[in-house]
Amino acid sequence: MELLLDFVIVGVSIGIVYGLVALGISLIFSGLDIVHFAHGEFYMIGSFLGIAVILFTGAPYFWALIGAMIISGVLGVVVERVFYRRLTRGGGGYTVAGMGMIICGFGMSVALQNVAYLLWGAAPHPYPVGFGMPIFLGNIALPKSYFYILICALVLMTVLHTFLTRTKLGLAVRAVAYNKDTSYLMGVNVPVMISLIFGVACAMAAAAGVLIGPINYVQIEMGYLMLLKAFAAAVVGGFGSLPGALLGGIVVGLFETLCAGYLIASYKDIYAFLLLIVVLMVRPTGLLGILVKVKA
Amino acid sequence: MLSIQGVITGYGKVQILRGIDMSVSQGQIVALLGGNGTGKSTLLKAISGLLPVWDGAIEFEGEPIQNRRPNEIVKRGLTQVTQGKDMYPAMTVEENLRIGAYTRSDRAGVLADMGKVFDYFPVLGERRSQLAATLSGGEVQMLVIGRGLMARPKLIMLDEPSSALAPRIVLDIFSIVNRISRNEGITILLVEQNVRMALLLAEYGYVIRDGVVHIEGASRELINDDNVRLAYLGGTVTDAGAELAH
Repeated sequence: MELLLDFVIVGVSIGIVYGLVALGISLIFSGLDIVHFAHGEFYMIGSFLGIAVILFTGAPYFWALIGAMIISGVLGVVVERVFYRRLTRGGGGYTVAGMGMIICGFGMSVALQNVAYLLWGAAPHPYPVGFGMPIFLGNIALPKSYFYILICALVLMTVLHTFLTRTKLGLAVRAVAYNKDTSYLMGVNVPVMISLIFGVACAMAAAAGVLIGPINYVQIEMGYLMLLKAFAAAVVGGFGSLPGALLGGIVVGLFETLCAGYLIASYKDIYAFLLLIVVLMVRPTGLLGILVKVKA
Repeated sequence: MLSIQGVITGYGKVQILRGIDMSVSQGQIVALLGGNGTGKSTLLKAISGLLPVWDGAIEFEGEPIQNRRPNEIVKRGLTQVTQGKDMYPAMTVEENLRIGAYTRSDRAGVLADMGKVFDYFPVLGERRSQLAATLSGGEVQMLVIGRGLMARPKLIMLDEPSSALAPRIVLDIFSIVNRISRNEGITILLVEQNVRMALLLAEYGYVIRDGVVHIEGASRELINDDNVRLAYLGGTVTDAGAELAH
């Protein structure tokens, strides 16, 4: 029983981190009509930036989280403006430009990984924070960082949700995500909104990176697997749906942890994709696939 | 108020408009007529800034607006109301109206105008917290017109408000549009395929064909014009043939 509780806490925490990255992928998909294949790299760079903030300023973990989010958000806006905008102007989705965008995303992923290699090297870095003694649930010790993940991620999600549903700017973001031309006619400055969407998405990925840092070592190749898992989470939840991305993340994280715990642990990374395949077979729109996107 | 001179544009390399000239005066309702694929919607997109203008000039209140960004043009008071399918289905009725007022920062004014929209279209008031996806076709058309009003425009361009609606509902909507134009002093450029209805509402009409203005004139004259009657007011090809044979 205690073991199950432990698995559930771990699974939900990991899942919520998948959810944060999936949220960004979903946001970018809605806003720019592209699947952003370099998103895992923003997660990785965000994680390193968190370390950098802690080492250079001696700031506590919480401020490292905020700092990494801001820097990654700005970095995301720059990457979008400088490299992606030329391609997305020609239209995303299934057009030729959309295909170009996918290739460009892979290219950006390689480029960012190499930038990270030059800056931080190939060795895994431990996170320079200590959360003190683990919490004991009966016989099982659970590091406190899992609880940090749960709390921080839930706060972030709440803030994002409030922003999207309660503010005028959030309303405009949702409008742009649904239909750019109509939103332009409402007087929304669509190019600026697209940058904002990209920045927020990258900041969310960075937050995921900083949150997972204390659990795993940070290294430059961590983005690739995260991208695939987050992608699975986004699809399981319903591609383009933000609550779906979060739900999908939690489902994937929980499923993976439980399977790894009770079945074969070394197959851990396979379970997420097994779930993906099953969901695509049974319910191709995902769990919360709803009216969120019109394709021109 | 709005004057268009020799506007040429198209999509990619395909030219659609081959030099359009027209003008809309303050307080008028002007109809822009023509069949499918004649360039009506293309012209609207060029005016509202969604489509670059290759050549020619578009002036709004004496200032050139061609090739400006759509959001700047909306701020000047020129709003395009797209067809009903362009509402935001995953937003509530109220949110749809709020996004219409995006360019404005006067909260009290926005609230007052929302009240006004609910006066013109009471059914929207009843459904204000419902998702737009749950509205009927007629209600959606009312919603997009209301959303256009929320920007407090000087000129509204209505893109086929009658499309895919029952005649009875079209009549309702047209009479409300008429009231809005008169009460609020809003100039209206009405794009329609439903020529008879449009000419009943408008004072002046332009008929475009193959990317140029084919016929223009006061509505009363257009209704009685043989060419318009033949081509758009229920005259079929066989009718035309019979008349030619005489």
